[in-house]
Amino acid sequence: MNEKKYFVRDIPRRKFLELSMKGGLIVAATPALLSQLISCKQQGLSGIGLDLDKETLNKVLAEALSKGGDFAEVYLENRTSRNIVMEESKFKSGLYGISQGAGVRVISGNKTGYAFTDDINMENLLRAAQVASNVAREGGSVTPVNVSVQTRDSFVTIQQPLENISDPKRIEIMQRADQAAMDYDERIKMAMISYYDEIRGRVIANSEGTYLRDELPLLFFIVQTMSDNGKARHLSRERLSRHSGFEMFDEVSPEEVSRRAAREAIDMLDAEEAPAGMMDVVMQNGWGGVLVHEAVGHPLEADNIAKGVGAFTGKLGQKVASDVFTMVDDGTIPNARGTINFDDEGSQAQRNVLIENGVLKGYMTDILSAKQLGMKRSGNGRRESFRYIPIPRMTNTFIDNGDSEPADILSSTKTGIYVQSLSGGSVNPVTGVFNFTCREAYLIENGIKTKPVKGATLVGSCLDVISNIDAVGNDLDFGPGICGKGQAAEVDAGQPTVRIRGINVGGSKA
Amino acid sequence: MNYKELTVQLVDKCLKYGADEAEVYLQSNRNLSIQVLNNEIETIEEASSHGVGFRVFVDNKMGFSHCNDFSNKALEGTIKRAIAFAKLTSPDENNILPDDKGITTIEGLYDPSIAGITMEEKINMALRLEKLAMSDHRITKSSGSGFSESETEVFIANSRGLAKSYKSGGCGIGVSVVAEKGDQKNTGGEYCSRRQFSDLKTLEEVAAKASKDAYEMLDPEMVRTQKATVIFDPDVGRSLLGGVIGALNGERVLQGASFLKDSIDKQIASELLTIIDDGTKEKGMASAPFDGEGVPTGKNTLIEEGVLKTFIYNTYAAKRAGTKSTGNASRRGFTSLPDIGTHNVYLQQGKHTRNEIIASTEKGLLLKGLTGYGINSVNGNFSGGASGFWIENGKIVHPVKGITIAGRASDILNDIDMMGTDIDMNDTFASPTFRVREMQIGGR
Repeated sequence: MNEKKYFVRDIPRRKFLELSMKGGLIVAATPALLSQLISCKQQGLSGIGLDLDKETLNKVLAEALSKGGDFAEVYLENRTSRNIVMEESKFKSGLYGISQGAGVRVISGNKTGYAFTDDINMENLLRAAQVASNVAREGGSVTPVNVSVQTRDSFVTIQQPLENISDPKRIEIMQRADQAAMDYDERIKMAMISYYDEIRGRVIANSEGTYLRDELPLLFFIVQTMSDNGKARHLSRERLSRHSGFEMFDEVSPEEVSRRAAREAIDMLDAEEAPAGMMDVVMQNGWGGVLVHEAVGHPLEADNIAKGVGAFTGKLGQKVASDVFTMVDDGTIPNARGTINFDDEGSQAQRNVLIENGVLKGYMTDILSAKQLGMKRSGNGRRESFRYIPIPRMTNTFIDNGDSEPADILSSTKTGIYVQSLSGGSVNPVTGVFNFTCREAYLIENGIKTKPVKGATLVGSCLDVISNIDAVGNDLDFGPGICGKGQAAEVDAGQPTVRIRGINVGGSKA
Repeated sequence: MNYKELTVQLVDKCLKYGADEAEVYLQSNRNLSIQVLNNEIETIEEASSHGVGFRVFVDNKMGFSHCNDFSNKALEGTIKRAIAFAKLTSPDENNILPDDKGITTIEGLYDPSIAGITMEEKINMALRLEKLAMSDHRITKSSGSGFSESETEVFIANSRGLAKSYKSGGCGIGVSVVAEKGDQKNTGGEYCSRRQFSDLKTLEEVAAKASKDAYEMLDPEMVRTQKATVIFDPDVGRSLLGGVIGALNGERVLQGASFLKDSIDKQIASELLTIIDDGTKEKGMASAPFDGEGVPTGKNTLIEEGVLKTFIYNTYAAKRAGTKSTGNASRRGFTSLPDIGTHNVYLQQGKHTRNEIIASTEKGLLLKGLTGYGINSVNGNFSGGASGFWIENGKIVHPVKGITIAGRASDILNDIDMMGTDIDMNDTFASPTFRVREMQIGGR
């Protein structure tokens, strides 16, 4: 397990494929019990068989707590996914996956027991409950409350459901993207396009009586283009992702996604070596928010706080950042990639202000860390799939708007680096030391963005960086990513244009 | 259920439903993970699972589907999905399946004794490991300690008559701790994973490494921006050279997306650099009798005394390049298509001890930690976050954190001027300490 590193990755296609397909499974023919529990699409939430479902779930929860324990939960999941890959203007592969399974969790004091099965039937659920219950051999016990259906606010609207979209329509989107990329400039030698969509159905039942189910669609469209002028080469990337129906492509066309990627690939062909050492950095609005996702977001996840090791441990209510710095995690932004309605433990998604005008206001919790810290559940308990226990995770995380004009921020910066986009980075959540790799960056000379420079690393420590942000723009925007913390989660990161005084830049010339 | 028979039957089903060629890849897994924290169990996770992936070709077009439901109806439905999906993709004459019936014999990939060890003993190992790592007075907190084990059985069959299987497993221990001094915090961690339980490092050795990593970096001093020698610790060899391996991916080379695409048989690095990929090593964590599509594994010299000898291929990329698969089809389980990847990679060790390398360095960085993406395999650029020890006049003078190092792959590889002897061949990327004459360092 080495040092735990949390990261948001630059996602080469194959990595994306790995992450998106991990533990993916499907349905087709399902045992009777499963179809009753999961096929809410066919039957609706008030469909027949619900009473039986409740009875089954109550039995499993009772078994899970039969040896003691404070909390038990059953999580059922069904994910249908498609991934189509186009490279060199050819459709290279089409993947279709069905993944289904159930996990049973028991919490006893600070201990968690977890077992999962990919065959959902009464016998396997009871066996999983027995295995999970083994952590609770000592300590108190609770009597489970019989489950009853609950409702949560939804922030996902669907106009063109994915299940109504034909595969040729998906193919057409990709062809349009490829054409636009190749038409952009003759120095674009190849486009790599990945289309992914999924429908994830969840059923959550726990010993507090919670019983929830829903289905969330997810679209993830990635265009990478490679430029080559005989001397230099650059692989660029642009991504589009939402929890929504296929109408996403009416709002942002595939051609637009490709043109953005191709522009970066061409502009960066002229990149020169970046300078090395401490300098001022202006970060353009949008996906640059991954910097605070890593540098501040991960250290504010409550699991490491509960362990007493996190960088922000014991700093609640204290001034930790400059006055202009306000940071929010909001799982309720309509249709955003990080939006979840309710988290994978059933807690309602919320807008959580983490740092307000520099003062630390809260952490992101799941059920366990909230209990350990005596805090509220913030709706951040997420899991990659039924194969994983839920842990505190971010949703849509961003620096909130300030009042500076983006143009003024740049023009008042004498020299430094203008970072237009980042590939991704990682942080050590205990020490707060982070790193990011620039994907597209320029020199700032006399307040003007000038020459492009090659992908340099930015390093620093989270407490320093949020104290050194001295200007925050009014142009908040977001970008989509995959966050890794032992398991993958889909997130948005965002920010307005900001300036950070004094970051160490890993250029190759002095 | 007899999985071997099932995979063969499923190949026939694929053909019956309209595939011209088909491959069935089935996997069954068993996992156990125990985490302890502050002398208490934190989590115990246990599961068995299985799944199957179908790769089919229809008129030279490829489709893939996977599922984890083994009912007849689910399997048949999933196969039909793959065939329907294949019809949407582009025809490619390089879509072929391997037919080599050979299997490389490799000893020691499975240790049945691991499953027989009691849960109590495994929990106790994790508890003792944490206690040992916390025993140094400079260590103030634990981030957790753990024991994990897994076993996997892979079955692969295709319409060229290939039908193979093997079983493998392993276990691991690991711990992560925090050293604090005033406002300073530093983390250290170490893990050890092996095919055989009896080959695990002692708890004492793993604990000592974790706590040393945490406390030895206390009281760092910043250095100024400068060019200096960089000595790569065995732990960071992979972080730098992973991008070189990525640039050897035969498919990326064909696409022009590799900085080494025109470098075959050329001197691309110092003569001190020899890199070997070995899929056949006894008890190797990345060894296997055959690769992700059933081709027997081998041992390939990728770079020999600085000369690039071969790219690595799966069956598709090899056909396209007009050569033979190098047994490097990699697969991340039943949900993925065969990609291209390495097995156990190691650098040929050199002549100098680590101490000799440090002693002969007038001014430079002993690099212990490297963050970022390593060498960019598309264009060869390199930039990373760095930490380690500063060396002056052949002696370590202080720890250093929060700096950067950068350079171009061609310069870095050619500038390797000392290669160490301290290689641990148990690592899946095994590197001795080595030295690069000069790199750009970013600091104060």
